[in-house]
Amino acid sequence: MNNSGETGQAQSMTHGIDLSKIERSGESHILSNETVAMSTDKLNLFYEEKQALINISMTIPKNRVSAFIGPSGCGKSTLLRCFNRMNDLIDTCRIEGKILINNEDIYSKHVNVAELRRRIGMVFQKPNPFPKSIYENVAYGLRLQGINKKRQLDEIVENSLHKAALWDEVKDRLLDSALGLSGGQQQRLVIARAIAIEPEVLLLDEPASALDPISTLKIEELIYELKDNYTIVIVTHNMQQAARVSDYTAFMYMGNLVEFGATEAIFTNPEKKQTEDYITGRYG
Amino acid sequence: MANHPQTHSESRLQPAFGRAMGMRMFRDTLAHYMVGLGGMGVIIAILLIFFYLVYIVMPLFAPAEANKVAQYNLPQPQSGKTLLLAIEEQNEIAVRFTDRGEAVFFSLQDGQVIGEPHRILPNRLRSRVKISGFTAGQSVSGLVGYGLSNGRAIIAKHNYDISYPGDKKLITPVISYPFGNKPVQVDARAHALVALAVQNDEERSSIAAITSDGRLVLTTMQKEENLLDEEESELTFSTYELIPVEGAIKLLLEPRQQFLYVVDKTGFINVIDIKEPETPRFIARIRVVNKDESISTIDFLSGGISLLIGTTEGKLSQWFPVQTGEKSDALVRIRNFSGESSFISAFSSEQRRKGFVSGDNQGNITLYHSTTGRKILTIPTSKQTLSKIAISPRADMIITEDVNHQLYVLHVNNEHPEVSWSVLWDKIWYEDYPEPTYTWQSSSASNDFEPKFSLTPLLFGTLKAAFYAMMIAIPLAIMGAIYSAYFMAPAMRRVVKPTIEIMEALPTVILGFLAGLWLAPMVEANLPGVFMMTVLLPAGVLVFAFAWQQLPISVRNFVPDGWTALLLLPVLIFLVWLAMALSQPVETLLFNGDMRAWMANHLGLSFDQRNSIVVGIAMGIAVIPTIFTITEDAIFSVPRHLTNGSLALGATLWQTLTRVVLLTASPGIFSAVMIGMGRAVGETMIVLMATGNTPVMDFSIFQGMRTLSANVAVEMPEAEVGSTHYRILFLAALVLFMFTFVLNAGAEIIRQRLRNKYSSL
Repeated sequence: MNNSGETGQAQSMTHGIDLSKIERSGESHILSNETVAMSTDKLNLFYEEKQALINISMTIPKNRVSAFIGPSGCGKSTLLRCFNRMNDLIDTCRIEGKILINNEDIYSKHVNVAELRRRIGMVFQKPNPFPKSIYENVAYGLRLQGINKKRQLDEIVENSLHKAALWDEVKDRLLDSALGLSGGQQQRLVIARAIAIEPEVLLLDEPASALDPISTLKIEELIYELKDNYTIVIVTHNMQQAARVSDYTAFMYMGNLVEFGATEAIFTNPEKKQTEDYITGRYG
Repeated sequence: MANHPQTHSESRLQPAFGRAMGMRMFRDTLAHYMVGLGGMGVIIAILLIFFYLVYIVMPLFAPAEANKVAQYNLPQPQSGKTLLLAIEEQNEIAVRFTDRGEAVFFSLQDGQVIGEPHRILPNRLRSRVKISGFTAGQSVSGLVGYGLSNGRAIIAKHNYDISYPGDKKLITPVISYPFGNKPVQVDARAHALVALAVQNDEERSSIAAITSDGRLVLTTMQKEENLLDEEESELTFSTYELIPVEGAIKLLLEPRQQFLYVVDKTGFINVIDIKEPETPRFIARIRVVNKDESISTIDFLSGGISLLIGTTEGKLSQWFPVQTGEKSDALVRIRNFSGESSFISAFSSEQRRKGFVSGDNQGNITLYHSTTGRKILTIPTSKQTLSKIAISPRADMIITEDVNHQLYVLHVNNEHPEVSWSVLWDKIWYEDYPEPTYTWQSSSASNDFEPKFSLTPLLFGTLKAAFYAMMIAIPLAIMGAIYSAYFMAPAMRRVVKPTIEIMEALPTVILGFLAGLWLAPMVEANLPGVFMMTVLLPAGVLVFAFAWQQLPISVRNFVPDGWTALLLLPVLIFLVWLAMALSQPVETLLFNGDMRAWMANHLGLSFDQRNSIVVGIAMGIAVIPTIFTITEDAIFSVPRHLTNGSLALGATLWQTLTRVVLLTASPGIFSAVMIGMGRAVGETMIVLMATGNTPVMDFSIFQGMRTLSANVAVEMPEAEVGSTHYRILFLAALVLFMFTFVLNAGAEIIRQRLRNKYSSL
């Protein structure tokens, strides 16, 4: 946690990369029939000398739910964190290639990382409410932007909690500590917190893996509700969950994007044998 | 496990499992009890320290006790009525001086007369003169004076020789005549002396007297050593006539023989300056009692500075001269004692403390202590008026005589009358002080010195030292910890953090030594530079940081991220050098070449070389590692998912730091500050060596202080075991102990609350 976005970006670009070790076998996965929200172009990512993402080129469709699946360590979370540059926080991480959002390379020098992260919201595997009140948790992102008017905050907080399907459960105790909520409530609070600042994209990194089945169901319903207004990218271990909530599914394996397509097609008729083996439970 | 079903497939292993299980259970239980024992041991050790301190301190506050040990008839009544009672040092012999000019020595225990009564007025004179007046010098001097009807006076002194014939202690009373064997001519006109006062010391001795015709006369005596024979010394007397005082009834001559207090019938004290007896000056006439009462007793407290005045209404008050700058008051009422509403008929001062004892017309003895203003104990002794009273030199025996010529002997246990809550914590008006003050002064060269035991300046000094240390330590340590935990490159942090932690092991005696002998003179010599540093260093760092941000990124990339702090080192060194180099010119330019003189003249600030700046820096450095380490750990252990959550919401690093990280780490930071504070409060060596140890109550940054801990360290070696001083030092230790205990306990409670509030899962 040692660098502001700009210098961190500069660092990752200046480190020399041992080109001989880079695999460049990836193919493009472009969805032609959808509006593009984000795209990657020949994205390679290294932790020190180890390559974690290999030549990934893909597009993320707008206002759709895209799911990343694959066995542990395949790089799906790493890829997700590239979209809001959370990987900058990892010292040894270097990136090559481009990620375009609205035709702008988010790894360019001129990008304000804080502003980028406001636009690309993220929800983590473990619910991480701040040790503040429920209200202040949701208002946090707004206060960061300098919005401090009570009436405006009240309105947005209420809206966000409504959207995250949490309002009815917490409306009487908005000033209580968020740490008193259950895990599932906390995760929905975190989603409310993320959507309060009106991001374009929501990145969900295994958002339900720490939750019980009922809470998981609520999160999935929430994702379904949200996709009309947001481009959602979800990383999940749970293939049923991917099948239930996503429109498109990407299967990753050993840092490669093996296959990316409509969820129905991936789960019923995958093009690649690797994909089929994984889906049918032969490994992973 | 041991009684697992026998059907288990690998039953061959079962016995081994059983044995291992037994061993494991044993180890577990052992560890359980050992840990418990260790924890209890620590608590018991601390409790023992606490109770030991309390055990030593308790007698300070124990009430005084007295019990009657003997009662007997007046020994040798044919020698006359008692004018004065006295007890010698060993509490074996008492003496009474009679109105017939005899000294009757008797055993204190049973009243058996020892030897023949000593005739102070020789037989050959008895037919020609009568005894017309009597005085007792201060009890410590053992002087008595008889005024005679022919204007002469006999001054005698009672002494006790101790010899050990046959290894048995034998105390022999001795009467000597410091003014010579022959009666001294006091009044040149040979009128009877009705009242007199006497003082005797090496250089000068005086006898003052009121004559029967109402004049005041004074005789001084100079002793000139005979060079040939040391035994035979030449005595020269000079007689003076003083300003007459109408209605004079009693005289008091203070030990320096400068002021003569003349008590008159109307309740006034007339003060006459007799430093130059040829030209006596009348100083003041002071009313010391109300109109409807009169003085019943008046005497000096030990030391001869304070006058104690008892009235016929039973009121008691203490008076002494007060000098405030140019102005001086001859006598000021310092405090009243809550007396009985009974006539105070007898009175005696303790010899070595500021206590005294009175007897009243209802037969009660009352013990007082003047400085504390306390009535310590009232002992009903007789049914009759007590006419005479005396307290032994060690203040452990009292002898009193009532009007029926019964003598009562009491044993008194009154070890620490000079200690009270108000003495320890309030302003107290001590003799020779212009006003009530908080004073700590436990010893002095003088014999009749009164120790002054106010803990307030020490507690104040402790807090002041801690305050200035924290002023230095808190910003540096916490900001350093924030940088190290949050911004610094991991490789650099791996060096910096252990280095600062090792600083904690630096012996504080070295820091104190450096502070006292190197830093203090340097600060003194470069005072303007030190002040400029406080502005130049932060400002210079900010300017440098801003300039660095303005550099093109290609230049900035030469320094890896998180290592930029290293660039500050040369900047800081340069700024320190600059401040020091500018010190002399600035001093010349703005302060006429001497900032200390300038401050003294223009701001009225005096400057101590070993002052709070030096202590603040030295102790600040001692405390920094403690605060830094705990704060660093607290910040570094803020869960990563919280900072990531904040960053993912579009917060900058700074926003994340101030809004999430510091909030979450606040319990740790708080306890870091409190533990640092506890360390600063208890720190001894640095304050001992760098403060000057002056127990002043001045918050000025240019003044030193004395702390509780340094006070204990400085004075414990010279305190007599069991003495009031010794116990008060233990009390200081107890106060320190309680203070740090309360501080740490309070900090822990607040920390727990904060942790409950901010604990993140």
